[in-house]
Amino acid sequence: MNLSEIWSYEFIRYALISACILGPTCALLGVYVTLRGMAFFSDSLAHSAVTGVALGFLLEEKTGLAIDPMLIVLVFSVCLASLMAWLFHRTTLRPDTVIAFSFTGSVAFGVIIIAWLQKYRLLDGILFGSIYANGPEDIVRQAILALVVCGFLFLQMRPLTLSTLNPELAQTRGIRTGWLNYAFAILIAATVVVSLRMLGVLLLSALIVIPPAAAKLVSNSFAALMLVSAVIGLAAPFCGVVASCQLDLPTGPTIVLANVSLLILCYAVSLFMGNRTLLRGGRKE
Amino acid sequence: MNVSAADSFHDDIDRKPLLRIERLGVRYGSHWALRDFDLDVHRGDMVGIIGPNGGGKSTLFKAILGLVAPTSGRVIKSSEALRIGYVPQHLTYDTSFPITVGEFLTVNHPGRFFWCGGVGRKQKREITDTLERLHVADLLGQRLGTLSGGQFQRILVAAALLQKPELLLLDEPSASVDRRGSDDLRDILKEIHHATSLSVLFVSHDLHFVSHLAKKVCCLNQTCCAEGAPETVLTGHLLAQTYGTAGKPWPGLQPAEPLPR
Repeated sequence: MNLSEIWSYEFIRYALISACILGPTCALLGVYVTLRGMAFFSDSLAHSAVTGVALGFLLEEKTGLAIDPMLIVLVFSVCLASLMAWLFHRTTLRPDTVIAFSFTGSVAFGVIIIAWLQKYRLLDGILFGSIYANGPEDIVRQAILALVVCGFLFLQMRPLTLSTLNPELAQTRGIRTGWLNYAFAILIAATVVVSLRMLGVLLLSALIVIPPAAAKLVSNSFAALMLVSAVIGLAAPFCGVVASCQLDLPTGPTIVLANVSLLILCYAVSLFMGNRTLLRGGRKE
Repeated sequence: MNVSAADSFHDDIDRKPLLRIERLGVRYGSHWALRDFDLDVHRGDMVGIIGPNGGGKSTLFKAILGLVAPTSGRVIKSSEALRIGYVPQHLTYDTSFPITVGEFLTVNHPGRFFWCGGVGRKQKREITDTLERLHVADLLGQRLGTLSGGQFQRILVAAALLQKPELLLLDEPSASVDRRGSDDLRDILKEIHHATSLSVLFVSHDLHFVSHLAKKVCCLNQTCCAEGAPETVLTGHLLAQTYGTAGKPWPGLQPAEPLPR
């Protein structure tokens, strides 16, 4: 199948448009997610979607109310993200501990509801996603998310960058880091929920984590990091969808492998450039 | 307003401290880090604060910056909008964070948008001028994580100066540099102080640095033990009292002997 043939199918066209919107959006947000060491945080929010979907079905079955499951997943994820952000700042528990019990607790709760409702088939769609199920409504939803994420990053880039580098320094510059952290956590939750249909719970964090990780290997400035990350975020899902059509492979895993291939390519480039210092690092005092 | 009234008005402004600290106390749990501390910082002052570890120096800065709430007393600023530039002793950050010195200074610039490292012409001029003033203009495009301790210290000073502060707070500015670097930094700070009449409040363990830079020294060990000109305060007797070593000779100093300036 060549590109024009691929484009002629409506469901693939929507999948490609979706990939081009969500890929760079997740990658740009992912720059801050990875620099703040929150990769596991976004992963746990993705997994909590299992509970959100299960709650949606429970509500529908018991009350007869047919609410958009996406809305329930969004509300649940935002609540969980806010709770985790609150626990990070108000308790002495380490972030990885908070994430671990929130993540396992919410997934366990979701699986129990699914088992109770006897809707095991639900799990397939949640775990692996289905980018070809995207319709015009999904594209509009994703475009709105992209606008909100890019708008937030554009307007808050200075405080966000400074508080990522060192929160205490940011506070001395008058930046209210508490508010910023809550807003950022909620934005991650919204991005994860809207992007779920593309890769599913299990693979979604690849879209957020791999492009900035690859970009970091070849970037010597923050501007380059953002730019390269967005380009990889655009290229990998696009190539993944096209390759999966041409080679008849499952789309989600192909998109993830496209991301991993670009990461390996960036690593090779960094070695070729003699940029090995980027692979080291650590906390400096 | 006649001439004498105008003079009196300007005298009042000059006399009014930029920062007044009144009976300040800060308690962490049951431990008082700072107690009944008083200090006035006037426009153009260069005040050095010395004292032992755990004496409350960093807590004092945090209280001035509003990062900790006073348990007792208060910090009075000459205006709510008093611009304070702060240079921390250490800045813990991920050295693999790919950000250049120019980008770091841009995100430190107050009230500016920052988009992918984009720097406006006027802003770029200000950053370059500040770096030139600190003799590190060649570092503009260098990655932050590759700087030496001394270079990084100057970049932090530059970041604080870009706030266009009326009061500059320096926490151990000479801690991460060798004697030569410390002397250079001291000369630069003197130069900036003379040129701008900037008020500077700094904390240091380096008595040589303090004696050559400060116009007023305050000895702090939870509370103010002594305050005055360096030649009257930096004496073996008062230092021994401040550091809690009274009765033992202060290394290299005779009692009541001032440090060489």
